[in-house]
Amino acid sequence: MISVIKVIFYLGPLIFGLGFLAPLSAQIISAAGWTLPFGMTPLIAGLIIGGGLGLIAQIRGTWV
Amino acid sequence: MSPTQDLTEMSDAELIRMEREIAARHINKFPYFAVFWAFSNFLVWLSLWPLVFMGVIPLWLGFVIACLNIILSYLPSHEAQHDIIAKPGSPLRWLNQLVGHVSTIPLVLPYRVAKYTHMEHHKHANDPEKDPDYATHADGPLSAIWKSIYYRQPRADGGLNAYGATLERIGRPDIVLDGVVYQLIHFGILFALAWSGYAIEAALLWWLPRHLALTYIQFYLSWAPHHPGNESGRYRDTRSFRSILGNIGSLGMQYHIIHHLHPRIPLYRTPQAYWEMKPILEARGCNVHEL
Repeated sequence: MISVIKVIFYLGPLIFGLGFLAPLSAQIISAAGWTLPFGMTPLIAGLIIGGGLGLIAQIRGTWV
Repeated sequence: MSPTQDLTEMSDAELIRMEREIAARHINKFPYFAVFWAFSNFLVWLSLWPLVFMGVIPLWLGFVIACLNIILSYLPSHEAQHDIIAKPGSPLRWLNQLVGHVSTIPLVLPYRVAKYTHMEHHKHANDPEKDPDYATHADGPLSAIWKSIYYRQPRADGGLNAYGATLERIGRPDIVLDGVVYQLIHFGILFALAWSGYAIEAALLWWLPRHLALTYIQFYLSWAPHHPGNESGRYRDTRSFRSILGNIGSLGMQYHIIHHLHPRIPLYRTPQAYWEMKPILEARGCNVHEL
């Protein structure tokens, strides 16, 4: 159990990016009414943005 | 005693006696307002969720109120941490503990984590190795704000991230679990809201206000009253200061020196105690020049 929690916290930035920033980005895109290229849905764009930011923060160890 | 009276010729024993007499007049006063503040602040923050979800108030207004709620959420718990509401063994002890636990829920700061690390801050204020809040030390206000944000990052080794190390050092690693549970629940709720279509609401009623509040709280409760923070000792590790936002805007911290000298004086009585004690503080060589 402890090792699972440690892995969750270690992967925190990536999990936060996919778990929160992705739907947040998707809902901001939808609310703003932006048209995305290549017929991309807001959720796919959100996953790219949230997952990308999370991955960068995961590698760098910081969001800023 | 006049606030401008010169007591520099008095002996240590006389100064201690006078200081204790003043402190005794302010200790053991029940902080009614802090108790009301704890529960009303928490209930207002909770009520924002249905009010915003049902469109009764706009999200921007909910965001502003949530920021204020979370900024204000720490201080009632701080009174409880110092047993100001009720001492161990007294009939109202349950209320002290309830205030301590409830008020910091929006801040995602467990009461036991806050209490044990805060006691270490009092014991070791400004000690680079043992003061859990040492990471907030900075050269100036902008640097203090930046450090508050920087030390909240995933692999930073200071700020709230240092609290775990402090709990390990004092032999209470079990309390780290409180922090883990709070974090998991916090992020679990945020993720559930986000994937249910309420990501913007979750961001503006909890996630962003919490980060803004942590910055504000660390600025006024940790950096400002201890700056420059290069000395330790009873009369050296904190100061009084004049805030551009006044005493209320600085969360009552202009008189923080009184809190470190006599932690069981309720927050609302620290200004009065300060002015009564100021000649003694000056005689002790305390940093009380700004106020």
